Amino acid sequence: MFVRDLGGVAAIFAISMLASAALNRVSGRPMALIYQSPEQRLSAELSRLVDTPPIYPSEVPTIELAEFRKQVENASALILDARSASFYEQAHVPGALNLARDEFAHDYQALKDRLDTFRDKPIVVYCTGGSCRDSRLVAAALISLGFSDVKVFAGGWDEWTQAGLPTETAKK
Amino acid sequence: MSGYLKTHWRHGIFLLLGAIFVYAGSVKVENPQAMADSIAAFGILPVILINPIALGLPVFEITAGVLLIVGWWRRVAALAILLAVAAYTVAIGSALARGITVDCGCFGFGPPTRARMWIDFGRDLIFLGAAAFSYFTLARQIRAQRRS
Repeated sequence: MFVRDLGGVAAIFAISMLASAALNRVSGRPMALIYQSPEQRLSAELSRLVDTPPIYPSEVPTIELAEFRKQVENASALILDARSASFYEQAHVPGALNLARDEFAHDYQALKDRLDTFRDKPIVVYCTGGSCRDSRLVAAALISLGFSDVKVFAGGWDEWTQAGLPTETAKK
Repeated sequence: MSGYLKTHWRHGIFLLLGAIFVYAGSVKVENPQAMADSIAAFGILPVILINPIALGLPVFEITAGVLLIVGWWRRVAALAILLAVAAYTVAIGSALARGITVDCGCFGFGPPTRARMWIDFGRDLIFLGAAAFSYFTLARQIRAQRRS
């Protein structure tokens, strides 16, 4: 009986794999068959904007909550939210714009006019917090694109909300 | 416990486990890329299998959950859930043993912490018990029916 049940499980698994592959093909944004890391996907996004620039995530400087808060309150830096649009639209740091890591090329084009005015001015990027890498990747991509003063708020959304600081809800 | 209560208690576990799997699968089916990132972080599967599994596993969970709820192929569905939860438990257990911090992506996605991993591991052990109970209860029922 156990072996027959295992056969049934294999059948459910096979049908699920085939159905999901078919669903993926007809979905608006089909996922590639071979996995690509977030860094590889961002490189692919960047290559849509310029000739595959290098990314050096470890070289991006970081700032702490106190400095980030001051910049948000004084509007002395362009604040960028690197999380996906669904999280950004739920809530974000007041005044932040959404430059999502997985939609980098699209969002960059949409924000280009605003971003270009900050080529030599301070930009701070954040993501969820903890060990999230999206803010570092987006910041590194911006540095690759010639922005000279890009920093990361490493505490991210988690530290901002845990400190009880104000948030904003708005569509992209 | 009376036979009536026992039967209802068992059905309650089937329905609850099935509903949990339908929910877990439906949360993940919307975001296969985050699911793939979660799987990749465990460093267990070869790269070539990551995306197909990220796409297929949520559908597998929903299918097994629905079958467990509606009662069609219920024993097979219980075994499917048992094997899936066993695999998740081994994966999280191995990540904890290797000292890596990963987001299990079990019920959505977020920043991983060691504390959350231990909670996920404990929860998977409970699910493992519930799935084993479901499968072996159903298997015993069939054997008893065949004998009588």
